Amino acid sequence: MKKWQLSRRTVLRGAGAVLALPVLEQMWPSVARGQTPPRPRRFLAWYVPCGIYMQKFTPQEVGSQYVLTPILQPLAPHMSDYLVLTGLANRPAQPDGPGDHASGTGAFLTAAHPYKTQGADISNGISTDQVIANQIGQYTRFPSLQLGTRGGGSVGDCDSGYSCAYANNISWSGPSTPLPKEVNPQSLFDRLVGDVQQTEAQAAKRRLYQQSVLDIVRNDTNRLQAKLGRTDRRKMDEYLTSVREIERRVQSQTPACPVGSSPSAPVDIRDRTTLMLDLIVLAFQCDLTRVISFMLENAGSNYAFDFLGLSGGHHSYSHHGTDQANYDALQAIDTWEMQQLAYLLGRMKSVPEPGGSLLDNSVVLLSSEISDGDRHNHNNMPVIVAGRGGGAFAPGRHVRYDTELPLANLYVSIAAACGVDASGFGNSTGPLPGLTG
Amino acid sequence: MGHFRFWPAIPLVSALLGLAACSGSSKLAVENAQPPSGAPTSTEAAICATAPRDPGRVTVHRLNRAEYNNTVRDLLGDTTAPARDFPDDDSGYGFDNIADVLSIGPLLLEKYQSAAEQLINAAWDRDIANGTTVVRICDPNADSSCARQVLTRFALRAWRRPAESDEIDRYLALVSTASGQQDPPDAGVKLALQAMLVSPHFLYRVELDTNPDSPTAHPLNERELASRLSYFLWSSMPDDELTARASDGTLHDPAVLEQQVRRMLRDPKAAALRQNFAGEWLYTRAVDGIQPNSSLFPTFDSALRGAMRQETEMFFQSLLDENRSVLDLLGADYTFLNDRLADHYGLPSVGGSTLRRVVTTGTNRGGILTQASFLTVTSQPNRTSPVKRGKFVLGQLLCTEPPPPPPNVPPLPEGSGQGTLRQRLEAHRSNPACASCHSLMDPIGFGLENFDGIGKWRDRDTDGSLIDATGVLPDNKTFNGAKELAAALKTDPRLPGCVVSKVLTYALGRGPTAADACAIEDITRAFESRGNRLADLFVVIATSAPFVQRRGEPGATP
Repeated sequence: MKKWQLSRRTVLRGAGAVLALPVLEQMWPSVARGQTPPRPRRFLAWYVPCGIYMQKFTPQEVGSQYVLTPILQPLAPHMSDYLVLTGLANRPAQPDGPGDHASGTGAFLTAAHPYKTQGADISNGISTDQVIANQIGQYTRFPSLQLGTRGGGSVGDCDSGYSCAYANNISWSGPSTPLPKEVNPQSLFDRLVGDVQQTEAQAAKRRLYQQSVLDIVRNDTNRLQAKLGRTDRRKMDEYLTSVREIERRVQSQTPACPVGSSPSAPVDIRDRTTLMLDLIVLAFQCDLTRVISFMLENAGSNYAFDFLGLSGGHHSYSHHGTDQANYDALQAIDTWEMQQLAYLLGRMKSVPEPGGSLLDNSVVLLSSEISDGDRHNHNNMPVIVAGRGGGAFAPGRHVRYDTELPLANLYVSIAAACGVDASGFGNSTGPLPGLTG
Repeated sequence: MGHFRFWPAIPLVSALLGLAACSGSSKLAVENAQPPSGAPTSTEAAICATAPRDPGRVTVHRLNRAEYNNTVRDLLGDTTAPARDFPDDDSGYGFDNIADVLSIGPLLLEKYQSAAEQLINAAWDRDIANGTTVVRICDPNADSSCARQVLTRFALRAWRRPAESDEIDRYLALVSTASGQQDPPDAGVKLALQAMLVSPHFLYRVELDTNPDSPTAHPLNERELASRLSYFLWSSMPDDELTARASDGTLHDPAVLEQQVRRMLRDPKAAALRQNFAGEWLYTRAVDGIQPNSSLFPTFDSALRGAMRQETEMFFQSLLDENRSVLDLLGADYTFLNDRLADHYGLPSVGGSTLRRVVTTGTNRGGILTQASFLTVTSQPNRTSPVKRGKFVLGQLLCTEPPPPPPNVPPLPEGSGQGTLRQRLEAHRSNPACASCHSLMDPIGFGLENFDGIGKWRDRDTDGSLIDATGVLPDNKTFNGAKELAAALKTDPRLPGCVVSKVLTYALGRGPTAADACAIEDITRAFESRGNRLADLFVVIATSAPFVQRRGEPGATP
């Protein structure tokens, strides 16, 4: 694996002189030094498959003086930086008949009820990350990013009559438009910072050319749409929406950003996860985007964690049937997932920003498509919310909700922390209490 | 579509559409077993004899990754497979070429843009270096009329139709854009060529209705039919010969269409069928992602993985090339092995690492149910799964996949001291909620228990007990082992119709609906009357109403 790293100090172009500045001062390229920079808020939604072994996840006590459970153990260094929320429900995720994995994944960030179909008439809601990106995405090169460790590529039925679109995507820009994810760290890196090396003249010409190409294909699409039926026009709308977003990116200035060398595209899930997490930090740190969703594998993943000494697949273990051997396997997998979260939180805390660290200005959500892997229930969801959201949240506690409050209420509060009004989102009934301490 | 509502009441139809619940399919199997040929009930025949046929509606179809790669290969001679770096296409109805599921977002459009730039620059440079004229048929820097010629010719191939003159004008404007930046004409032409590859006319297969709001069926135009055919059989653009038949207006002639299908099936580009159609239908594509546990299956390695996949691919190809009966899928007296796979199967060496055809008479191999690819992808990483194997047969071969288990079902106890896998599954089935489905799936899987989690033969289970591979099918046929099971399944009347349903789904890029019932019925009868021969099925489907016609969508006006 080729190593790459963010340089702690980086080179800024300026007045013919080469100037080395600490990273934090180039966070906001549009702001001159000396002025008070705005404080961007970031949102990362992190999905893990097959639920969580709740008995070894849920702390006994509520409040700040709780005892770390075995699965939360890796988060010990960050206890004051995250909230454990239990008791929330995502009822719209309840499928029609079986299909909890696909339905729960489709509804993970939409809190809407995915329509059961293999393909025709796909219908879901818009996802929280996209609601936020629609408001704050305009400030960055990429309104949002969708990342993962695995594409689609499964054969057969994805889950009980639900299209794989529900099983493989948590970000939805509209009811019928899932946003597929980038799973190759190398491609992601090139996309994020590939053009940083260009001169300003080169970049300007390139912008002009790209814009001219987009103008022509938009014209083609508009003419074509006039000849199409309803469903086909909707497909072309997806295309036009994409053109508009790329246009904005083409017009954005090349960011001044710390550049490492391109990462590899490793096969091992451990390396792939680490690289993706590093790139998430890079994207936030350079203010390339403020909204990211990340799927560690897809709905109902049966990945075999052989490096944890487990011979079976994740999904098989998750149907634990109260068998202790299965519980042990789930505990190992869930603990590994928390180790990954701990790594990310550590990285985000190490990036200083006005008002604290990158983590302090962010909201990191981690949850799954279901609660218990065997019961497939959509209440008492396992939820971790890390970061202060710029002061909106008071982390360091376990909060238990006893009334099956909608998970969507949390999303309303997360959006508010990012400066976005999402009242009425999904099945929400208002903001979630208890987050501010 | 209210007048089609009575269709789901027809048992065979609901089976073909995969709508059956377990209780229903059990009964269905018995019912349908009575007329052994799978002949329709008199009710079905009567309804389909007079019912109007609805070709259905296919949504505008974005090229999927395989189609993109093959198309740029045939358009530009580029074999770099740039779509490897695109996000995966999601699948529906078992295939990843379903137009309704193939969406587009900013990430993909950005990938299209950057791929177009690389593809055009590389093709242009190749033409200069090799003196070829794949794209650069003249020098735009030397001849002012060249730019239009290049773009007109390229659009004809890239858009799979002639471009209008004013369309070319709009793209030509990019040459002026480039000269405004002091770039030479060829820079502008290359920019225009890139734009053509980002245009929806390239990225989507566009089919137009004279009246997009009208549900009345009409024939596709010849260009559109040529595209449907080439993406069906090649996952790629039409070649010159097919384009010529579209241009001279003869493609709708069934004899011409059949001749083209047979020609195209003989072309190496028909490999797309084994990679994309069979790869998804028979799960061969999943072989790349399997993770057998290395301590339980120490002999599994990448060479074996590759040989497994190739065996099934070559086997499917042989059925197609030799126009064999699709029933041979279940029981053939040959397969394809190299030394590694022969050793895995306990058969004599074939003399090398290249797979070659081997007669399997007298061995325990022959047919998909005995092939390691199928046996491994339907296993858990650490053991066989009779349930998954049974589910594959019911879902992929008989189109009667049972629904998944309801929540809160106690799972199979794992580990020692719990009895054999068969005993544990039988205990599991004592729960009536589970029995209705598992009594359909499990017997099929038990018949294959002599093959372990990576398809190796075994006489004893991991706990040392002898394998019991006997079973009873819902229609009371008894069997012992894979060969007898395959023989019993071969006579299942659902098999031909199910294969029709799978191929039709793939051919159209949409899922079957109730309105397709009579079309599927027509195709199945024609397929059976031709001896269930696989290549013939591709002809029958390519000449069928749903394939050569389309219709608009009622109420489409905004």
